[in-house]
Amino acid sequence: MVKAICYTVAAILVCVGLFIFSELYMMKQIDEFAVALDSLYEKIENETATREDGYAVRTLWTDKKSKLQILVPHNDISYVDYWLSEACGLLYNGNYELALGKVEVLKEIAKNLPDAYRIRLENIF
Amino acid sequence: MALIFIRTAIIFVTLLLIMRLMGKSQIGEMQPFEFVISLVIAELACIPMADTSIPILYGIIAIITIFILHQIVWLLELWFKPMKTVISGKPSVVINKNGIDEFQLKKNNLDVSDLIESMRGAGYFNIDDVYYGIYEANGSFTALEKEETTASPSLPLLLIDRGKADEQNLTRCGYNREKLNKILTEQNAKLKEVVAMTVNSEGRAYFQKRGEKYKILQIEVKGEW
Repeated sequence: MVKAICYTVAAILVCVGLFIFSELYMMKQIDEFAVALDSLYEKIENETATREDGYAVRTLWTDKKSKLQILVPHNDISYVDYWLSEACGLLYNGNYELALGKVEVLKEIAKNLPDAYRIRLENIF
Repeated sequence: MALIFIRTAIIFVTLLLIMRLMGKSQIGEMQPFEFVISLVIAELACIPMADTSIPILYGIIAIITIFILHQIVWLLELWFKPMKTVISGKPSVVINKNGIDEFQLKKNNLDVSDLIESMRGAGYFNIDDVYYGIYEANGSFTALEKEETTASPSLPLLLIDRGKADEQNLTRCGYNREKLNKILTEQNAKLKEVVAMTVNSEGRAYFQKRGEKYKILQIEVKGEW
């Protein structure tokens, strides 16, 4: 009986620890990515962004992605991949107007991604 | 992650509730919560294993949640006896010294043919061969056998099951509605008032009117089965 209670308490502690860690870790990774996106957005707005800026954000995302895939379903991550690739392609061609729209979408995804995994009534049901 | 925990807990509780509401006919040899666990755990293990787009942690968290819920249910049952009744249910005495307890049958979503089937599974072919018949909380059937059971090589047929006549069985033993009504009139009963009536090829009939003790009748039958 004592053994069973110990196992149960240990399992609950592992879960709670994992919940807190995953929440904080995901927030941190997404926040860093959002900051990079903000900076890219500003540069595109001022029409000073280069393709290297786009690639830098993509490199940063590739690094975050490999870690986030442990916590987030891969389909959600592939949305970011898709829009980021489009933004980079447009920056390569110097099409700032369209690239701005793509980065805007990316910013929205980065903003909403952690919310989709928070304990909220709409996420539970 | 916490979302997975909450969702798993909700599904577990819902399934447990539904299994309890479905009665004893739906569970076989398992406590309701054990049945729910075996239902859920296979799927939980399979989905992250086969679908590579779902992080394996999702499956692991859901399985750990099931483990935690199992332990909580087990401890609750152990420490608070009333909880055992709420979670796992309690045995139902469906046959007592007066015969079949129709209320208990209804409560467990069973009919007389289900009861006879369970009795056959336990090795009893006549309803009046046992003093008590019990459906345990896990859905299995146990009985307290009479010292002297009916030593007949004939299989009893169910003629009336909770107010409904079985036409096929009536024909098999050479009966029709008129003949059956005659017996019912002799017993001062209407078809709707009869809980159960069975008969074997030797004409030995088990007859139970609602709210009364069962009777053993000797009636004339045709045919061998």
